Amino acid sequence: MLRSKSIKGRLIATVVVSQALLAAGLLFAGVFYTRRRLVSTLDAGLQARAMSVAALVRYTEDASGNVYFDDSLMPRSLDPDHPDFFAVWTERSGLLTRSSNWPAGLEIPAGPDLHWDLTWAHVTYRVWRISHVPVLDREEGQSFRPQDLTIVYAAPLIQVHEQVRAAGVFIALASLALLGATFLLALYGIRRGLLPLQRLAKQAALVSAHNWELRLPTDAEETTELRPLTHSMITMLARLERSFVQQREFLGNAAHELKTPVAVLKSTLQSLLHRPRSSEEYRAGVQESLEDLGRLERLLQWMLRLARAEQWAHGALRRDIELIDITETCEEAVERIRSLAQSRHTRIHLATNGKVLFRADPEDLQLVWQNLLENAVRYSPEGGVVEVAVTGTDGGPARIIFEDHGVGIPADELPHVFERFYRGDPSRTRATGGFGLGLAIAKALVEAYGGTITAENAPSQGTRMTVELPLNGSN
Amino acid sequence: MRVLIVEDEPRLAENIARSLRESAGYAVDVAADGQEGWFLAESNTYDVVLLDLMLPQMDGMQLLTRIRQAGQLTPVLVLTARDEKESVVALLNAGADDYLTKPFDLGELLARTKALIRRGKGQPSPVLVIGDLQLNTVNRTVQRSGRTIMLTAMEYRVLEYLAHRPGAVVSKTELLEHLYDYNWEKFSNVIEVYISGLRRKLDNGSDQQLIHTVRGQGYILQD
Repeated sequence: MLRSKSIKGRLIATVVVSQALLAAGLLFAGVFYTRRRLVSTLDAGLQARAMSVAALVRYTEDASGNVYFDDSLMPRSLDPDHPDFFAVWTERSGLLTRSSNWPAGLEIPAGPDLHWDLTWAHVTYRVWRISHVPVLDREEGQSFRPQDLTIVYAAPLIQVHEQVRAAGVFIALASLALLGATFLLALYGIRRGLLPLQRLAKQAALVSAHNWELRLPTDAEETTELRPLTHSMITMLARLERSFVQQREFLGNAAHELKTPVAVLKSTLQSLLHRPRSSEEYRAGVQESLEDLGRLERLLQWMLRLARAEQWAHGALRRDIELIDITETCEEAVERIRSLAQSRHTRIHLATNGKVLFRADPEDLQLVWQNLLENAVRYSPEGGVVEVAVTGTDGGPARIIFEDHGVGIPADELPHVFERFYRGDPSRTRATGGFGLGLAIAKALVEAYGGTITAENAPSQGTRMTVELPLNGSN
Repeated sequence: MRVLIVEDEPRLAENIARSLRESAGYAVDVAADGQEGWFLAESNTYDVVLLDLMLPQMDGMQLLTRIRQAGQLTPVLVLTARDEKESVVALLNAGADDYLTKPFDLGELLARTKALIRRGKGQPSPVLVIGDLQLNTVNRTVQRSGRTIMLTAMEYRVLEYLAHRPGAVVSKTELLEHLYDYNWEKFSNVIEVYISGLRRKLDNGSDQQLIHTVRGQGYILQD
């Protein structure tokens, strides 16, 4: 199942969760601190009360050193519902007294001073035991050894607990209120923060194959986080537009290029039918039609070849590639082009220096060399020389150079020679029988192998085409 | 009638030219690029120009603009491989009179060419009537008072040209210009031969002379 994920939801959840954690921490710390403060205040009170109990222990008048407990001055408990309880032990005679509400069966562990909590009759008490308390009552010139007392005093913790709970409730309520306010603020802030994204989406929705312009909203442009997105959108749109325009141009050009031979064929056949003709005329007409058809067929072949090369260059098709020798494919291509060269009395001079190994489909490379050779031969003057040089240096790319000594290419046409259907001088190319596709196919294939192809005017005269193929590339 | 074809595909130009010569009896000049087309259009007078758009040297649009800028009234029929509305509108606005998209029908091309020639000379009907003379430009027949007259190809071409401009004085030079293509040696005395042949055939059995000679100026066709 596809779960829709909302940035807004996630941001708000993050804010709320962190706020809730903060509130919980605050609550815990507040409660802990309040309780500690209250308990420590209570402890001080307990100790003071224990001392005031100690003050009620008096020596008897007989100077025997015996003591008694004078409970007439006993201070009142703070909480009348849950009165304090206490007990006093003397060093000499053990238990001296204990309060009437002393819990039955409560045993006080022996040992040094300590305090602990004790639950009795569902009420928690704070208990303090203080030992070695001297009897505060002193007689002038007493002869006996003064006695030490051990006092246990307990007071209920109910009030402390109630105060802690009240503090806890207050902190919790305050946190909740703050949490609510934060939530609303976060919602508003995030909504506002995401507005540029929405505007950007709205503008992006207006982009189509007919309207490539992306009007960037200014706030989207100014938003730092959106900048990588807008940047890549713009570059993506530019790339898409370029390939769309190229496709459209290709279709337009292809349609034009196909229509012309079809028009020729159609007009030939129609003019043949215009009036009765002799069988020789019909034969000649059919012959011409076949020639027209042949030209159409060749054009279709070239277009398919280009489409395949470009498809492969874009990674759509993969085929078996093997380790082959570039020099050998060049020799093969020269062999294939020889009859054309001979018909134009053009010599092809191939300069090589041994094997140059490359991973490729040999047919692809031969097609590239053939197209470049054909181009060079066609533009060479009758009886000229086409020079081909193959070099494969260690570490560098393989370089294959084709040079003719023809009229060359005007400088302003050089950047266009690899465009589909581009013919620098259409009349000349038509006379030489080209379709303006050979160089485009060569470029597509070379680029499919990660290489480059460039055209320049040769230093002497004519055109020089340079193909570079990466020898230690990852092809 | 004389037609200029500007088309860089030689086989197509050849087919159109042959068809115009055989089926319509027109004189045809062919230019393979825009520059040659301009040279011919500038130095000769044509009754219609068939213009391909994608041309080397100077493209069809440029040539068309130049023809119109030079003030030539010659009808122009554009042959184009593109039939998008924008390019058609641009063509017509640049001064083209009609267009055909490739691949076209030769019969349609012929019909449109004839129609353009007619309209260029102010003749809406394909059957031209001068008095009791009827000239059908579709099947190239001539009748006078219901009687069919057999003419040679050249005689028909002379009469067709004169019939397109009834009542106007047509000089021998003009006739030569419109009846022969660029490669033909032009001798004005052949016109006199055709005119006398025409007169003999047309006026046979009629007391009304149709072709009149305007001394020193030329000929006029009227009843």
